[in-house]
Amino acid sequence: MVRFHEHVITELLDEPSGGLVILSSGLSLSKLISSLLLLHDPSQGSLLILSPSSQSLKSQISHHLQSSDGSHEIAEITAELPAHHRLSLYSSGQTCFITARILIVDLLTNKIPISSLAGLILLNAHSLSETSTEAFIVRIVKSMSRSVYVRAFTDRPHAMVAGFAKTERIMKALYIRKLHLWPRFQVYVSEELERNPPEVVDVRVPMSKYMVGIQKAIVEVMDACLKEMRKTNKVDVEDLTVENGLFKSFDEIVRRQLDPIWHTLGKKTKQLVSDLKTLRKLLDYLVRYDAVSYLKYLDTLRVSESFRSVWIFAESSYKIFDYAKKRVYRLAISNHINLKEQTNTSTAKRRKLRMDGHSKEEVANGTSSLSGGVVLEEVLEEAPKWKVLREILEEIEEGRTKQPLAEDAVESNKLDSGIVLVACKDERSCMQVEDCITNGSLKVLREEWQNYLLSKMDLRGFQTPQKKKPKQKEPRGIGLLDGVVPVKPAQSAESASSINKQEHEALLAAALQIRSKAHITDEIPPQVENDRKRKGKGPKKKAPANGQTSGSKINEPETLIVDKTNSELTGFHQPGKLRGAPMPGALRKHNGDHDDPEGLEGGAKKIPPLYFYALERNEPILDMLKPSVIIVYHPDMTFVREIEVFQAENPSKRVKVYFLFYEASTEVQKFEASIRKENGAFESLIRQKSMMMIPVDQNGSCLGPNSSTELEASSSQNSITRKAGGRKVADKEMQVIVDMREFMSSLPNVLHQKGMRIIPVTLEVGDYILSPQICVERKSISDLFMSFTSGRLYNQVDMMVRYYRIPVLLIEFSQDKSFSFQSVTDIGDDVTPNSVISKLSLLALHFPRLRIIWSRSLHATAEIFATLKANQDEPGLDKAVRVGVPSEEGIVESDVRAENYNTSAVEFLRRLPGVNDSNYRSIMDGCKSLAELALLPAEKLAELMGGQKAARTLRDFLDAKYPTLL
Amino acid sequence: SVSRSGAAASSSSSQSGSQNSQTRNAILVSHRQKGNPLLKHIRNVRWTFAEVVGDYLVGQSSCALYLSLRYHLLHPDYLYYRIRELQKNYKLRVVLCHIDVEDVAKPLLEVTKTALLHDCTLLCAWSLEECGRYLETIKMYENKPADLIQGQMDTDYSSRLQHALTSVRHVNKTDVVTLGSTFGSLSSVMDASMEDLARCPGIGERKVKRLYDTFHEPFKRTV
Repeated sequence: MVRFHEHVITELLDEPSGGLVILSSGLSLSKLISSLLLLHDPSQGSLLILSPSSQSLKSQISHHLQSSDGSHEIAEITAELPAHHRLSLYSSGQTCFITARILIVDLLTNKIPISSLAGLILLNAHSLSETSTEAFIVRIVKSMSRSVYVRAFTDRPHAMVAGFAKTERIMKALYIRKLHLWPRFQVYVSEELERNPPEVVDVRVPMSKYMVGIQKAIVEVMDACLKEMRKTNKVDVEDLTVENGLFKSFDEIVRRQLDPIWHTLGKKTKQLVSDLKTLRKLLDYLVRYDAVSYLKYLDTLRVSESFRSVWIFAESSYKIFDYAKKRVYRLAISNHINLKEQTNTSTAKRRKLRMDGHSKEEVANGTSSLSGGVVLEEVLEEAPKWKVLREILEEIEEGRTKQPLAEDAVESNKLDSGIVLVACKDERSCMQVEDCITNGSLKVLREEWQNYLLSKMDLRGFQTPQKKKPKQKEPRGIGLLDGVVPVKPAQSAESASSINKQEHEALLAAALQIRSKAHITDEIPPQVENDRKRKGKGPKKKAPANGQTSGSKINEPETLIVDKTNSELTGFHQPGKLRGAPMPGALRKHNGDHDDPEGLEGGAKKIPPLYFYALERNEPILDMLKPSVIIVYHPDMTFVREIEVFQAENPSKRVKVYFLFYEASTEVQKFEASIRKENGAFESLIRQKSMMMIPVDQNGSCLGPNSSTELEASSSQNSITRKAGGRKVADKEMQVIVDMREFMSSLPNVLHQKGMRIIPVTLEVGDYILSPQICVERKSISDLFMSFTSGRLYNQVDMMVRYYRIPVLLIEFSQDKSFSFQSVTDIGDDVTPNSVISKLSLLALHFPRLRIIWSRSLHATAEIFATLKANQDEPGLDKAVRVGVPSEEGIVESDVRAENYNTSAVEFLRRLPGVNDSNYRSIMDGCKSLAELALLPAEKLAELMGGQKAARTLRDFLDAKYPTLL
Repeated sequence: SVSRSGAAASSSSSQSGSQNSQTRNAILVSHRQKGNPLLKHIRNVRWTFAEVVGDYLVGQSSCALYLSLRYHLLHPDYLYYRIRELQKNYKLRVVLCHIDVEDVAKPLLEVTKTALLHDCTLLCAWSLEECGRYLETIKMYENKPADLIQGQMDTDYSSRLQHALTSVRHVNKTDVVTLGSTFGSLSSVMDASMEDLARCPGIGERKVKRLYDTFHEPFKRTV
């Protein structure tokens, strides 16, 4: 346990009523929590931890608890646990994980003996607000017992400063008075972490020329987009900087500003917002993806975005695409003699393809189309970091072997096997980098390249041999190659498109070659497969299986490549003269270029054992592996801090850390900015803390029904809310029956704040029962659209209409989003079936009794509910629960029609093909039961259904032979 | 002037001659709505002025009242009196509320309450275009079945069969396959005896009874 964790805990325990701890990210929140949990004693009562949404935090806490003290276990309270079992856990004095939804329902139904509760721990303070269920829980708990403590934590300081006085509002909502700030620069923290810091080697890797070019171009385009955005005058300019643009939170900043007026924005502004997001991703991928994958991503972007987006047409965008392509391949126009030869060979090649495609008549065509003589040359630029990583690894190994044996033995005994931890951002990079180290980067790139070409071919429909002239059917604009030209200014369209075409053909030829090769290798059983840990992408080249030791594995790439080259040069089944296509030529050249690194990789240099870890996995990897050398392949602030903490915890160990940065890249900028941002957040929090207006005795002053007014005053709601809330409460206690599933939303909390009694039950029909007559189905906007599409809403309304006199659909907008379905420009000229207007109109036409409430916000909803309930009786619990649930006899209770109709049969009838709203009644008049219907001849049916066609449809459906399972 | 008024008369009489076909396909607009810019946005459906109680007669038994929220702020009682005029003559009574103020919470609460307690369906629109579109749509969809909002059901045989059979409570997809493959067709399933149903694997006593009752109990019970 690090010392500053002790400080945090001591400070926290000083205040028995609880506190809010904001910690710098990476300072091991999970360890802090588990240390705190160890201090818990069952005699104090039960301790409930509201389960964090991130499973990894939960499992890390459990991991730390287990590793430090096996006896301390955390129980988990889930919905599956029967009620009495839950009760016994609540009163056991144990520590339990529980979800907010279960806890609030159990609280409202008085299933928790409050006196046996010691405290609550909340792990997601940054995602709370006054209306969240957690706040609801705390309010109820505190109203029943003041002695229960509430301790809230977060390690995302920047999220605590989003929005006006967010921290203060959260503290009030949780009845917390003490705020504990633990930034990395706090004196205890920095002293401890810097006393014995790990040895750090900063490796600045220069980016390749093209990478620099791409990065510059993206930043330029981004800047252009931001300028456009400023012109709209809709957003606060201050936040609109390229630096901010690098962060994911940038999208949130912009959306937060724009959401309330989203419906008034033009298409262009909306597009700008999404373009900025795309550009941010492009910057990120530039340093994370290999050249081929990057090109592929750009290709897909072009296909999916070309028409809508603004940025693609910006001037610098052309450079992005062009450079990205140049990192992978280039087109060479060969000299005259060569040209002829190439033409010949390409034609020959083409002929072969045609034969594969069963269309020999196009041979002549092929010759003419290739008169330009364009040759495809692979470039396959490897990521600069790959090579550097390998060099570092070799250096480490070298250093180790040089060390005197004795010391080495001591060290390895004392520490570990000497595994080097390589930390990448994501799994994908992990796998690729690992592949590069074990198999050589060229092989990895080539595999990607082959996949790229093959996917290109699939895209163009070459897969299906029936299509004779697929290239003529290709729509323009698919893929990278078509699109580049229009942006290019100088060339005339015609010559450009012919070059394009040639580029195309060259790509396709290369693709076809790979395909035919793949075909050949298919026949050879892929022995290598067992050897490889990675998921292979299709059948691999055959390689001699060299045994399993790591040494021979390193040798493997070379053999592989040599083998492949050989097969490319000689291995074709075709006669020799068909062989000299562009690809092998380029390949040979390429190999020549890269002879040296290949030689190194294949040579005697050894590398230490490696472990690749993806940061997104969120495992306590350092504790598990205890590495002494760590290579941070992608810089990440949180992970850096974790290393610091790890070193501080293991002072006897000498941890050496290599940071791999791309020099002068946005990667560096982003890393530095993330630290700056966090510090900024803490400085702002420190300022806020000094000015906070927290009631001295929060416990006493704002409990009971009065709390509603108190809370609303703080929560910037409109004035009527306050007035009406206060007045209504005094009259009588209103009660609302709420479906259990609704506790995912904040409305029950807000209703409770308004002073209504909330009764949670499982409802078959509706979400909220306001009175014996009023039943409400609540739909947020996204829900509304979804349930229209699925037909669920229709059924729900249908049920409500059957059982309640006033069935209500509540359409609930979000407070901070625009109060509107769509902007004027989205309405269009015609009545279209997909429009939400059409669907709502149809719903109203089919259910004229359905009432619709349009609510601006949660608080407006609560207000409307209170108004509607004013002159109505309180709802009956028993009845509400029984509604829609068939009793044992199959009769649905309290259905207005139940006494007279066999509802199940009617429903069944109405679902049969040919039966519709206008004819089902006459069918019921004309025949007694479904069994009778099943036997009616078509003529009789036609009579009842008022039409031959409908009758035929129904009869055919009834008599259709059920398809056999075979 | 005589000739002019005569022409007007003749045109109006010819109109009344073809009135039935004319008005059946058109939205009838109350003279009160004269000058409402909303009318410009009814383009996909014909409309004509007529003597109607509400503002818009959108169908055989549906009518709509137009309410600007700004107007409501000035005349809070207006809506109530208009609704009262409608009496009980229409099946669907729409209050078409044009949200043309910024601070909606209070006025919208009042409108919601009035509409709800007096049996009106409230539809909100944020522009005159949207208001017009609602009127057009309700007119055009007057006799349209609800398929559009009943979910995009697959139309292949097994999905339809599943859709029908699973309407019986507790019958699941597996049961549908069992029933189908045991009896061969839906009509045979519907005609099956209790014993035959009970022989199907996975279909317990309760499901047998539910299925059998669904098929054999009369649609209408004679009390």
